[in-house]
Amino acid sequence: MTTYNIDSRGTACPGPITDLIRSYRKAANGDMIILLATDPGVIPDAKSWCGATRNMLVDAKEKDGEYEVTIKVTAKK
Amino acid sequence: MIGGGAGGLITSSKLSAELSEEIKQEKVSITLFERAETQEFQPGYLEVAFRGTEPQKLRRPTEKLVSPGVKVVHAKCASLDLDNHQIVTEKNQEKYDFDYVVVSTGCSPDYSQTPGLREENMDFYTDADVSSRIYKTLQGIKSGRVVVGIAGLPYKCPPSPNEAAFMVDEYLRRHGIRKNVDITFVTPYTRIYTAEPINQVIAPLYSERDIESRTVFNTDSVDPVKKEISSLEGDTVKYDYLFLTPPHKPASFLKGTNYSDEDGWVKVDKLDMHITDHDFAFAIGDTNNIPTSKAGVEAHLEGIVVANNIAMNITGRGTKHLFTGRTQCSMETGFHDATFVVGTYDRPVEKIKPSKINYAEKKVMEHIYWGSLHGHYEWLFKYHFKQDYFSESPAKD
Ligand SMILES: Cc1cc2nc3c(=O)[nH]c(=O)nc-3n(C[C@H](O)[C@H](O)[C@H](O)COP(=O)(O)OP(=O)(O)OC[C@H]3O[C@@H](n4cnc5c(N)ncnc54)[C@H](O)[C@@H]3O)c2cc1C
Repeated sequence: MTTYNIDSRGTACPGPITDLIRSYRKAANGDMIILLATDPGVIPDAKSWCGATRNMLVDAKEKDGEYEVTIKVTAKK
Repeated sequence: MIGGGAGGLITSSKLSAELSEEIKQEKVSITLFERAETQEFQPGYLEVAFRGTEPQKLRRPTEKLVSPGVKVVHAKCASLDLDNHQIVTEKNQEKYDFDYVVVSTGCSPDYSQTPGLREENMDFYTDADVSSRIYKTLQGIKSGRVVVGIAGLPYKCPPSPNEAAFMVDEYLRRHGIRKNVDITFVTPYTRIYTAEPINQVIAPLYSERDIESRTVFNTDSVDPVKKEISSLEGDTVKYDYLFLTPPHKPASFLKGTNYSDEDGWVKVDKLDMHITDHDFAFAIGDTNNIPTSKAGVEAHLEGIVVANNIAMNITGRGTKHLFTGRTQCSMETGFHDATFVVGTYDRPVEKIKPSKINYAEKKVMEHIYWGSLHGHYEWLFKYHFKQDYFSESPAKD
């Protein structure tokens, strides 16, 4: 299992979601993607992305103005 | 200066103007490495593909676009070694030293990531001749399904796949065959346009024009036999004609260097574009990894900032400038209407309604493009971009 740590802090829409999609392409089922961002849009975007792609949103939290989204890749064919 | 496209030409022009005295006194020389004999106006690829503009109308000889005081070396850069301040060109492995270097080598389609795409796709990114194949194909369409959209990230000019959808729709309506042809737009993003304010503007137009959208579709491969695109999740979309936007890659000599990321995009400071850990080296335009659109406007404004700062370091005059992250990409919505995607690092993208005035502004840009690379229209850029043209560094370092 590989963990992809993506630092999208300081980037605004569509930065974090672009970084997420690029990492997802490289990841395999079972891998984790941890996305760090300062753009508050990242949480609703990641939620709707996980819902639509059928990947697993493990955690989404805010701390001191920064957001951390953890996704488990589960939906690749 | 490596790369003589939108970013490289304005940077070298501004440097030659700012350092004209030093160049006369032979204290400074500027060399531009450019592999191509001609340059193309890339936004015009859409016109070639969907309106049948002749490819040659988009071309100018590189030599004519270079300002006095800049020496051109027509060669492909094979390596850039920042630790040893050295450029090596491909032909004859010639070596060149430098005190400052600016990389502006753009990006281009990368078909290697998507099996089957190269064989089946026609794009409006590779060059004007390749774009013209789309128009020839459009002329033969009687019925079927056209699929446009984003096959992978990143790519240049974020609105261009949406523009393609609108322009295909316009072509088919003007030729009275729209009812026989379906248009499907695919995108890996969760919205038709990833920035919500612009999505709010164009999503209703997609419904109005009957353009089907498949969001969160991560194109994985194309099956030329089944005429089907598959997503990473195993979903499929059928096509008869494929005009997808391929993921893009930077110039190959950048990959594997200690100053680029794993895909070869050059890691820079997003305010002054210096390459991480090297204050004498810069990367501007499509080839760097800053979190903005890959667009000519960015390349231009970044080039103005970098040229100013290099000239300031050499002459000791002036103040340091910083890039604001300003983006301004036009998006044609068909039938001579356009909107703009406008924002900065600090200001989210605005909601701008499509209009004929916006379209006219886009056309003005086309007319002044070549002159703007010489720096002829900086007064207009300054007036138009106002505080976003650049910001001043608080510390004069
Ligand atoms: C269909 C389309 C529509 C677009 N619409 C818009 C728009 O509306 N607004 C906008 O702002 N932008 C638009 N763009 C994007 C814009 O054209 C690019 O973002 C811009 O050209 C980037 O400038 P650059 O200097 O980074 O790269 P380029 O202009 O691509 O220049 C790179 C140069 O480097 C040279 N080069 C590459 N590798 C080497 C090497 N190894 N050695 C020597 N030379 C090398 C190339 O030959 C080229 O001349 C559009 C692009 C396309 C394709």
